[in-house]
Formats: sequence, C-alpha cells, structure tokens
Amino acid sequence: MNAQDAVLETGYQSGIPPVNYLNIKTTLASWLLTKDHKRIALMYLVSVSVFFMIGGLFAATIRLELLTPASDLLETGTYNKVFTEHGIMMIFFFLIPSIPAVLGNFLIPIMIGAKDLALPRINLISLYIYWFAGALALYGLMVGGVDTGWTFYTPYSTTFSNTYVMIVGLAIFINGFSSILTGLNFIVTIHTMRAPGMTWFRLPLFVWAHYAVSLVMILGTPVVAITVLLLAIERVSRVGIFDPSIGGDPILFQHLFWFYSHPAVYIMVLPGMGVVSELISNFSRKKIFGYEFIAFSSIAIAVFGFLVWGHHLFVSGQSPYAGMVFSFLTMVVAVPSAIKMFNWTATLYKGSVSFDTPMLYGLGFMGLFLIGGLTGLFLGSMGLDVHLTDTYFVVAHFHYVMVGGQVIAYLGGIHYWWPKMTGRMYSEFWGKISAMLVFVGFNLTFFPQFLLGYMGMPRRYAAYPPEFQVLNIFSTAGASVLGIGMLMPVIYLVHSLKFGKPAGDNPWMLPGLEWRTTSPPPLENFATPPVVTWEAYEFGEGSGLDLEEARRRAAAPAIL
Amino acid sequence: MSTHGHSDKFVYHEPGLQHQFSDMEQQEESVSIGMWMFLVQEIMFFGGLFTAYLVFRSKYPMAFAAGSNHLDAFWGGLNTIVLIVSSLTMALTVYYAQKGNRNLQVIFIILTMLFGATFLGVKAIEYNDKYHHGLVPIAGLNLRAKGTAGAEQHPEGKPCWEVAGHSAEPAAEHQYVNPKGEFEWADCSLAKLAQDEGYLTTAEQIGYFSNGELDGNKFRDKVRIFYYLYFVMTGLHALHMIVGLLLMTWLLWTAYKGYYNADYYMPVEMSGLYWHFVDIVWIFLFPLLYLLGRHFLHAGH
Repeated sequence: MNAQDAVLETGYQSGIPPVNYLNIKTTLASWLLTKDHKRIALMYLVSVSVFFMIGGLFAATIRLELLTPASDLLETGTYNKVFTEHGIMMIFFFLIPSIPAVLGNFLIPIMIGAKDLALPRINLISLYIYWFAGALALYGLMVGGVDTGWTFYTPYSTTFSNTYVMIVGLAIFINGFSSILTGLNFIVTIHTMRAPGMTWFRLPLFVWAHYAVSLVMILGTPVVAITVLLLAIERVSRVGIFDPSIGGDPILFQHLFWFYSHPAVYIMVLPGMGVVSELISNFSRKKIFGYEFIAFSSIAIAVFGFLVWGHHLFVSGQSPYAGMVFSFLTMVVAVPSAIKMFNWTATLYKGSVSFDTPMLYGLGFMGLFLIGGLTGLFLGSMGLDVHLTDTYFVVAHFHYVMVGGQVIAYLGGIHYWWPKMTGRMYSEFWGKISAMLVFVGFNLTFFPQFLLGYMGMPRRYAAYPPEFQVLNIFSTAGASVLGIGMLMPVIYLVHSLKFGKPAGDNPWMLPGLEWRTTSPPPLENFATPPVVTWEAYEFGEGSGLDLEEARRRAAAPAIL
Repeated sequence: MSTHGHSDKFVYHEPGLQHQFSDMEQQEESVSIGMWMFLVQEIMFFGGLFTAYLVFRSKYPMAFAAGSNHLDAFWGGLNTIVLIVSSLTMALTVYYAQKGNRNLQVIFIILTMLFGATFLGVKAIEYNDKYHHGLVPIAGLNLRAKGTAGAEQHPEGKPCWEVAGHSAEPAAEHQYVNPKGEFEWADCSLAKLAQDEGYLTTAEQIGYFSNGELDGNKFRDKVRIFYYLYFVMTGLHALHMIVGLLLMTWLLWTAYKGYYNADYYMPVEMSGLYWHFVDIVWIFLFPLLYLLGRHFLHAGH
C-alpha cells in the first residue's frame, strides 16, 4: 500500500479524509490570504450566492409589481431602478462569475492534474477586485440606485439620468478586471499546467468550454471597460463622443457596449455548456459523442460571438446592409450550439442514463436551452425582430438562455461536484424535488412572457393594459415556485455540510480526474501527482479505474 | 505546448520557483503566456479608443485635420524619439539581467526611467499649452483669465473661415476673454476649403452647417471631439507610463539588490514587455493625432 492508498484508506474509514484543503488551517486569515484555488472558489461561491439573492429579491419585486396592470406597488421611477439593479446584480455580479469563478476555479486545476492555477496570487487578487466592485455597486444601490437599464444606453445615461450612474458604472469597470484576470489565469493554466499525459484532446469538455470563455473574457471585457470609462468621463465632464448635440454618436456606445456584451452572453452560457457536457456523458456512463466537435464548437462560439453584436441594433439606426450581415452571422453562430445539442442527444442514445439530481439539471438545461436558442433565431431575423424588439419576447428569450442555461447548469454543477467540494452528500430526495420545482417554476414564469411579448407587451414598463394580466399572473406564480425551488438547495446543501453522509471519493464511479482524488481534495489536489493514461470519458477497461475498489470505498450515496 | 512532468516531493527547489510549478521552465512559460494575455487585453482596451477615433475621423476629417494641425509635431516627435530610445535601454536592461550584470542593469533601468520621465514632462508642457489656449474640451478647465493667446478671440462679424489661424499674431491684451474657461476654437477655414473643393463627407455636410451656411460653432464642436479623444487617449497612455515608472522603481530596487541572473530574470523581461507595449501604443498615437492632416498646413486657402 503506497502513501496515497494509505491516505485514502484512512479517509474511507472516518468518512472524511483527515487532512484536506478545508481543515488544514481554519483561521480567518488562512481563508482571506489563501492562494489555494479551492478556497478561493468557495469564497466566490458564497459571494455570488449573496449577489444572486439580492438580484433575486429585485426579480421578486418586479414580478409582484407586474401582478396587476397598474403601477401600484412601485412608482414608475422606482420600477426603472429595480429592473436595472436586477440586471446589473444578476449579470455582472452573478452570471459572469458564477460557473467560471466558482466551478472553473475549483475544478480546472484538478481536472488537468495540477496543484493549483498557474497564477494563484492573481486569482486571489481577482476575488478582492470582485469584492471591492461588488461593495461599490451595493453602495451605489443603497444611496439611491441607477435607472438606466443594465445597458447604460447613451445619451440617457450620460446626460439625463439623475441617478447614481457614476458609482455603479465604476463598479462595473472595476469588476471587469476581476473577470479579465480569471480568464487570463485559466488560459495560462490550461496551456502550461496539464499533468503528464493530459493532452489537449484528453481534456474534459468543461475545460475546453472554459478555455473558450477565457478568450471571450480577455478579448471582450476590456472593450466594455473602456466604454464604461468613456461614459463616466462624459457624465462628469459634460462633453464626449456619445453626445449628439456636438456631433457625437450615441449609437457608437451601443456598438462598443454590445461588442463586449454580446460575447458576454456567451460568457454566460459557454461554461454552462461545459458543465452539461460533463453531466450528460457521466450520467449516461457513455463516452461523449463527437468530442472534437463539442470542443471546437466552444471555440467557434467564442469566435463567432464577436461578429454578431449588431443584432442588438436592428432598430437603432444601423444601416440595413450591416443589419443583414449581422442577421446572417447570427444564424451562423447558432450552428455550433446546435452541434452541441445534437452531440449531447446522441450521447444519451443507448446510454445507461441515471436520473440523479445533477442529471435532472443537465436534462433540464437541454430542454430550456433548446427553446432559448431557437427563439434567439427569431430575434436574429432582421424582419421579425422589428416586431419583437423591446418586448417581453426578448425578456423571455434571454432568461431561457441565461437562467434556463447558465443558472440551471450552475445548479447542476454545484450538485454534481458538491460531494467533491465538501466531502458530504446532500439529500438526493430534496435535490430531485428542487430540480423539478426549478424546472416547472422556470417554465411557468417565462413561457407566458413569450406570448406576452408576441402580443406586444413592451419590456421595462411598470404598467400594462389589463388584457395582459392573466399571463402576468401565471408568470408571477411561476416566479414564486422558481424562488422556492432555488431556495431549497441553500437549505439542504448547508444542512449537508454538517449532517450529510460522507460522500466518498467517487460516489458515482466516474472516471474523471477529479474523482480520483480524495473528497475533499488535499491542499495540492493529489497525494501523488497523477499521470494520465486514459482518454476523456473512458468508462471501459481503458479508464484504469479499479471499479471494484472504487465501489468498496464509496460510502453508499443516499438514493431516493 | 508541452506538458510538464511533475517532480517528486523532495527535490531541490530553485529560489523563485513557486510551489504550484514543477520546474523553472514551466514557471517561465506560464508567466510569459500570462503577460502576453495581459497585453492582448490591453490592446483591446486601447482598441475601443482607436475605434472611436476612426469613427469620428472618418466622419469629420476636416475638423480632425484642423485640431491635429494645432498639436505641436515637434513635441510629439521628440516624445516619439524619447520612447524609442527608452525601448532600447529597456531591451539592454533585459540583456544585462540575463547576463547577470548588476551594475549595467541598474544604469539602464535608471536611463529608462529618465526617458519615461522626460516623456511625461513633455506631455505636461503640451497639456499646459492646451490649457492656456482654451483647447481643453471640458468646459471650465481652461485658463479663465484674460489672455494673450492666439486666435481664440471671438470673431466679431467675420465669417469663421476668415478668422486667422492659430499661427496668427496674438490678439490685444484685453480682447481675449474666456471667463468660464470654455473650449475655444474659431477657425473653420479647412471646412471652407473642403467645401470649395467639394470633398466634404456626408456627416460634415450636416455637421458643420446651419441653414446652408458654414457655422463656426458647429465646426468647433467637432474639433472639440478631436481634443476630447486626444486627451483621453494620451491621458490613458500617460497613466500607463506612470504605472510603467512604478514598475521600474520596483525593478530598480530588486535589480540593485541583485535578484536577477541568468537563471532568474522573468520579472525584468515581463516588465520589459509591458514597457515596449506602452511605447508601441504611442507609435500609433503619434501619427494619428499629430501627423494626419498635416499636409493641409501647406494647402493655400
């Protein structure tokens, strides 16, 4: 029995390995000054959850206001602030960091067999930048908030809005550097830190997706940073290039903003696709279908994502010829997403599909992303978009992609890797209940909004004609189901930290490198540096995994 | 990229090797890729500004030419030379760090810093000149007192294209008043030239005219956009220079302490990459801001 086995054996007997990254040091300073990617990921997890709840409270307020046709719960001006803050909190402080900064941070080094990210100090700095920016944004909200919409369109944001655009804009500017540094770190790590034998085409698809996301973060985020900076300068100095009264161009702001923010929606879905590739293959116990196609489709999405920003400007005064090109390119970018969908479906075919909680989220993603993606094609068609622009159809579409895509995948990923992160298993029963509540609640909330939008209900208004009320009631009712479904994991996951069954190192008998170390992993991830001899998603003999041994070690997971 | 073997636990660790790497080669490769990625994001950061410049210059080329011609190509050219030479001294710093020559390292770092400081000094002279001539685009940030500046006097009754250019003789002491520190610009002769020759752009045909007449105020607004971009672009560039100088100060201290040798010189090389990047940004800024449109200075009008 070698040293690793000894550690594993002790871990198996007591349930939790004696020395892991969580209990090696427990002082506050050991957390705040850590350079361990796993601890930083956990701190990100707590932080993004806080922002998710704040954003969720704003969402709840919006849905309550829209329960009745009149603007009775909120004044219209307040309503403007509420939907703006919902967007800013959710997009900049939850969705963009969610999967990369939490799951990516935790898993990329483990999945490639490294001791840590290549630049651990940069990783910690990015967390502190995120905290600082988040605190600044919260301060901006508390002193009075901002009412421009999360898109900060000029000249309203520069000239007319008398809310706290500066503070919140500055917060977003600063927060951008957090995401740039995370992306930079991932690219470096994936290039240089792979274990012996871990070739590019043995990387889990989760890692490929994060490589693509990191490219977008590095190439896109600086552009929105400079744009927001120009906006801030213009707001302070009362002169600038977005001011039409001196010959400036407010449309240029939209171009610069969407040059980042369209690729940013891929920041908000590519990591989700990475998670789902893991879930679908592992819970079908079948090698993923078309590995290379999925890997390169991530890169293709990242590249084409930079060429489609103009589809946000179809009705903004952009040349119709430019519109046609952007419309065409929007159709093109749908192809790699479709490739992924087909490959996941083909992976399920004749697989040994099991319906554990993470897989429920994975399957939910496929259904919701399908709707979200296809309605994106509606909006990408220049002619139809004229009818649908700025209606609830748009709202429904991007919630299907961002919530139905990224949030569902994020929850799936959290459930999937929770045993690895904490060493404990959550209640499978409550997990399944909450996954189903989220799925049902989500559809009930947002499907009516497609209908509302198609019938012409505009977004961003506190009041609406009475004939839209029935569907809005459906939507608000769905939101409460969704809210409960989202709150439940908070309770049972936290509960499992203390009372959950020890998960064992490999509760689902999976071949990925992360399942070959202890749960929770030791400080530098592996007792012995791994050497990779197997292909990705290898479930057969070639995986080099002693299933008998793994079964013996695994504590019996709580099954419904 | 190659994958790297992980060493066993109890091997000799070189000084400066971080715990997450197995050898210096892996560390150097990581740091180097990281720096290049950082520079890529810097390019995109400035890229947004260059895009904005491109958009407005293609819309209002005459206003940009007029504004550009008032910048002093002498100072701009001097700064270009200063930065190119500083790139040489920076490259020599890296060279001597690799050679492990502490004294020459220190000397060349000091030289690099001197050139950097010279650049910022020249920039300060130029900004000060704009301040005195009412060319800071932000209202209120120009010299408010009565001045002796060039042609910013309010043209009483004269059409804007007959107002003397900035090279004309100074106005009398009490004629020039800019009590609110506004952006001042009177001469629209380049727009007149383009109108007479028939090559105004569509945006210019709208942007410079009121009721079919050339409007000095509307032309001034476009020149103001040029100066706005000038200040934002050179300002952000100067900020990068200041960061570079801070980096150099740290480098000077560590080099003086003798941290760098043939086996460990990555911090010097990475700082060098940053320094060269800042230089290269200026190499693009100089012609775009100072030189384009200069041929109009010799066009008779």
